[in-house]
Amino acid sequence: MHSNGLFLKDVAGFLGGYYTALAVMNAVAAYILWRRKHQTGWAIVWTAFASALMVLASLAMSGSAAWVPALPQAVRSLVNTLSGPVNYTAGTTALLLILFVFRKFFVQPMVAWTVLNGALVLMGLSMADENFASIVMKPDNVPIVGLVFLLAFFTWVATKQAVVNDERIAQGLPPMEKVNDEKVLVWPDLVYTELICMVGVTAFLLVWAILLQAPLEEPASSVKTPNPSKAPWYFLGLQEMLVYFDPWYAGVALPSMVIFGLMALPYLDFNKKGNGYYSIAERKFSYLTFQFGFLELWITLIILGTFLRGPNWNFFGPFEYWSPYKVEVLNNVDLPQMFWVNLLNRPLPRVAADAPWYAHVGTILLRESPGLLIMAAYMLLLPPLLAVTAFRNYFAKMGFIRYMVMINLMLLMLTLPLKMVLRWTLNLKYLISIPEFSLNF
Amino acid sequence: MAEKKKMSVAEILAAARAAKAGGGAIPTDAPPPNEPAALPPAAQPASEAAEPPKPAKPAAPKPSAPGGRPSVAEIMAQARAKKAAESGNEAVAPAAQPVAEAKPAVAKAVASKPTAAKPAAKTPAASAQRDTASILAAARSGTKPGPVSKADAPVRPSLPKAPALTKTAAPAAAKVAGAAADKSAPSLPPKPVRTAAKKGTADTEDRRGFLEMTLGSFMALGFTALSMTGGLWTLGLARFMFPNVLAEPPSRFKVGFREGFPAGKVETKFVAQFGVWVVNSDVGGLQQIYALKTVCTHLGCTPNWLEAEQKFKCPCHGSGFYKDGVNFEGPAPRPLERYSIRLADDGQLEVDKSRTFHEELGQWADPDSFIMV
Repeated sequence: MHSNGLFLKDVAGFLGGYYTALAVMNAVAAYILWRRKHQTGWAIVWTAFASALMVLASLAMSGSAAWVPALPQAVRSLVNTLSGPVNYTAGTTALLLILFVFRKFFVQPMVAWTVLNGALVLMGLSMADENFASIVMKPDNVPIVGLVFLLAFFTWVATKQAVVNDERIAQGLPPMEKVNDEKVLVWPDLVYTELICMVGVTAFLLVWAILLQAPLEEPASSVKTPNPSKAPWYFLGLQEMLVYFDPWYAGVALPSMVIFGLMALPYLDFNKKGNGYYSIAERKFSYLTFQFGFLELWITLIILGTFLRGPNWNFFGPFEYWSPYKVEVLNNVDLPQMFWVNLLNRPLPRVAADAPWYAHVGTILLRESPGLLIMAAYMLLLPPLLAVTAFRNYFAKMGFIRYMVMINLMLLMLTLPLKMVLRWTLNLKYLISIPEFSLNF
Repeated sequence: MAEKKKMSVAEILAAARAAKAGGGAIPTDAPPPNEPAALPPAAQPASEAAEPPKPAKPAAPKPSAPGGRPSVAEIMAQARAKKAAESGNEAVAPAAQPVAEAKPAVAKAVASKPTAAKPAAKTPAASAQRDTASILAAARSGTKPGPVSKADAPVRPSLPKAPALTKTAAPAAAKVAGAAADKSAPSLPPKPVRTAAKKGTADTEDRRGFLEMTLGSFMALGFTALSMTGGLWTLGLARFMFPNVLAEPPSRFKVGFREGFPAGKVETKFVAQFGVWVVNSDVGGLQQIYALKTVCTHLGCTPNWLEAEQKFKCPCHGSGFYKDGVNFEGPAPRPLERYSIRLADDGQLEVDKSRTFHEELGQWADPDSFIMV
């Protein structure tokens, strides 16, 4: 939309280098496959791909803006139209689910390499879009892009080892970690490795600091809030949670529960398997719970907050201009309003301002009774209910206290996705809304 | 427990020295009745203080060294010899003798630093003093010295209590004799040491008590002075809470005549300096001028007034407020707050930021929170 020749000329040089680097990366991979692994077929594939990347690189550096490889405008518009908090969350959940279910397929190195190349090329093509580039190439956001790839890589490595171990365990073999536990000397092996890494990272940081200017802004003012106003990247998941919850819950209670829950994990875990080696099949519940909480409820929210939340904390598609005047309908309604006004067609219970305190409290309790009842059922009825149904095994093995800690932590964690769904489907703002005491849920 | 004791190098050396000096030895092992473990260290001081050597019984410590550290071959030889000699217990009684003679010298030492014995008594690697005291105690109590060797230790009926007494009885006995030792025996090891030490000082209460009282008073005086000074300092610091010059905009300020605020307008020019919007709007059917605080009720960011959309929109989490300040979108839990506003004597509007009015508390009905147009 806002792309123009001037921008494309600026970005063309970068894209040329970017595609060249990708081509070199693939050529090296092809060489290794050919000489070391003797997989000539794959080596040819990646050599051909590297050549194609060189074509892209020369197109990007051709000097003509029209030739810079980019996604067609129609595709960008379609992506923009489709993206939104609901589709984004549902899409990432589905994607993670697919990756998990077909993990045996995705952990194959060649598949992973293909996916990586696809992602990198897609990013290069997207970078020819000014709106996309201005967000991704912002000095603040560059490390986050790197971290996304890094996280994907580490998750992939762990999954791969887990898949291998699961297969070995199924065959009655010990996990890989037990087989090749080669010992390495601290001196010189480890120390030299560390030294080399130290030098490498220092050089990298130097280059980075020179090439990317620090994002300095005007002096802070208490009456002028930057728009959009973003937390540090690692807190953007929290900031996203604040869209759905009151500060005391999303900013204080829930993060505390996260920390407390992580500390409690070793005491809640009664599964003695998977100790010292990667395994998914032997610890399915733990694995899924953790990855859901980490990847879905933390990482994807950080990505959402970093790249897709713009001025006024509105949602913007990846190729959309960050207009501070974008109008987004956010008419959310509290549950009491829904219950008393919309459903029962009567005004909210009110009390005269000069009434005694107990009348106030009683009125508030009456007004909020639907939300209070729902929350009471959620937190008080669900645990015993689950104990005799879905979690019967866990209850038997864990005992009352450990089970209650575990199930309450899980229920608290699930309040976030549940609230998100309620917000999207019912425009529900708060289940319990007691602004008199700044207590909303 | 008591039988464990390995000899430390220091003990071995002490024993060696004693053996050499006395040409043999002292009843070194003449510890208080039930102090088998403390035996070895006792050798040195005792030998020095007590002249009469006991050739018959050479440096005794050895027996309790279980195969010990034969660093000094000589000692080992002596120990072996002694063990053999002692198997019958007969040498034990005489052993007490030299100790008794050692009393005067040791007693002096003990008296001069009564407390010194305490720390020594606590550590198994006993020092000379501890052992002196114990020897003295043994002498005073007039009982038969304790087992001289491991070999005969089990014979003694009081052995079960031995570990406790080993540590505790020495200083106490130095002063009070066997009775005290018996009394302190059943209690736990560390405690009696302290009580024993106290008793040691109690001896001198007539003189030192006065000193201590005076000292206590001095301490009290010192701490009183310290806390008073600290309190005054704190009060002095509190003075900084009320600076002479306050470089911040006044909380009461005039924003101009009401003609400057036409109906439907949100005046944003006071935001940068005072953090307030002055709005002339229809609230519940009444045309009012009111001052809204520019602080989002969600997390405290400063919302922006969007003229085109006729709403206040917070950049942090997207909370939206109508022109009257009532929240309608995003996570903000309650409406924006109002500041107090009034018509000053000169006809200008005056905003007072020292008072705020919350809609959810019904305070917007307060006549100070708005001006009827």
